[in-house]
Amino acid sequence: MSHVPDFSIAVAHLPALLQGAAVTLGVSLASIVAGLGVGMAVCLCRISRRRPLAWAARAFISALRGIPILVLLLIVFYMLPLAGIELPPVAAAIIALSLNSGAFQAEIYRGGFASIPPGQAEAARALGMGEGRILRRILIPQVLVRVLPSLVNELIMLLKNSSLTSAITVVELLRASQQVVAATYRPTEIYLTAALLYVVMNTGLSALGGMVRARLAGRGRVTA
Amino acid sequence: MSKKAASLPPIIEIRKLRKRFGGTEVLRGIDLRVYPSEVVCLIGPSGSGKSTLLRCINVLETYDEGEVRVNGELMGYEEVFGRDRRRASPARLRESRRDLGMVFQQFNLWPHMSAQDNVTEALVSVRGKSRAQAEALGTAMLEKVGLADKLDSYPANLSGGQQQRVAIARALAMEPSIMLFDEPTSALDPELVGDVLEVMRSLAAEGMTMVVVTHEMGFAAEVADRVYFLEGGQVVEEGPPAELFNAPKSPRLGAFLSGWNRRNA
Repeated sequence: MSHVPDFSIAVAHLPALLQGAAVTLGVSLASIVAGLGVGMAVCLCRISRRRPLAWAARAFISALRGIPILVLLLIVFYMLPLAGIELPPVAAAIIALSLNSGAFQAEIYRGGFASIPPGQAEAARALGMGEGRILRRILIPQVLVRVLPSLVNELIMLLKNSSLTSAITVVELLRASQQVVAATYRPTEIYLTAALLYVVMNTGLSALGGMVRARLAGRGRVTA
Repeated sequence: MSKKAASLPPIIEIRKLRKRFGGTEVLRGIDLRVYPSEVVCLIGPSGSGKSTLLRCINVLETYDEGEVRVNGELMGYEEVFGRDRRRASPARLRESRRDLGMVFQQFNLWPHMSAQDNVTEALVSVRGKSRAQAEALGTAMLEKVGLADKLDSYPANLSGGQQQRVAIARALAMEPSIMLFDEPTSALDPELVGDVLEVMRSLAAEGMTMVVVTHEMGFAAEVADRVYFLEGGQVVEEGPPAELFNAPKSPRLGAFLSGWNRRNA
């Protein structure tokens, strides 16, 4: 069976696809923000001088990087109810994605911290600043600037990985597309349209990263 | 001991100081005294331990044995009655660094902050000054080092000499009674060294107590009250620069000075 692609069908179902894209964007942004927190916290434990903390962070990173995201999604989705925690699928999706991304982000930040000369913290210490303030005011701002390109990369991966949440009934872009395909039986047009929407969202994300970088450079802050 | 110091107790007193890095002992029983308003220069070949010694004074390095006292207070350790001393708590350590300003070879300015913010950061976060007070003081300090027009510049847009002067202003703003300099001109292009030395000279003239690790023998000869020559983690010779430079007693200092003269002839 062959047919000429007819994108008027995709246009007709665009509202449903856009609604799916909005869920994709929402789930991804929430996971990105939560992943930033998880990633930074895990990273600080990982580079901590307290052995048990560093060890726990190491174990977390190995486990969460080692579990396929689809498996992690299914575990979170089916296990939390067993523990008496009833969560909507969207929440389970955000938890699984932010845990996974947090593990990868932790390693990105660790590289960032390692690239900052020790003199930066020493100068602050010599002035009497405490370690917490040194982190907040001196180190983390520089780490974020340095890791921005890798971070944008990781965020693009996360947005694409969010398509896996369709497996736990989150009606994001992929699942919305599948529903339209089931009704119209026009997979080519619908999935191509979905692919296009993913590309548009990721291009936006990387443009956003570029803008942040340009803004910092404009203030003479980016030296690397 | 210099004339300035005649009757006052030492402001820095170091006794039998030992420091190991792994299996290597880099400080092997150092004794050193600095009296108020003195300028003391530490010279010696690289690897002699002079930078490590300086960094033990404000406990950027923890020392193993002996003691470092600043204004009589033991640095880096707390004395526990009837027991071995223990490492000072972070809060105690911060408090004990109050009188000490430090300037580094690599400047260590924070690249994400303007010159002004580099100077005011610790004034606000450590000294608890208001934004306005901090900025007034910061501006005054940057004027003092000749950079009144660079308040809003970021380190990346300043020359090495300007960066080092911002770093000096940053330390001075905390109103320390002692300034530690760790090879402050070694990372500078030759034509930029003069401006930094000029600022240091005027500080010395104002009566600031200074400990300076340096390779600038001219500066040491001209400004120092006393010079310590270190080699292999020990003080080999100590005294007024005129004595050390013109009539070195130890053959090792003699060799060090003639090597320096050859390189800088």
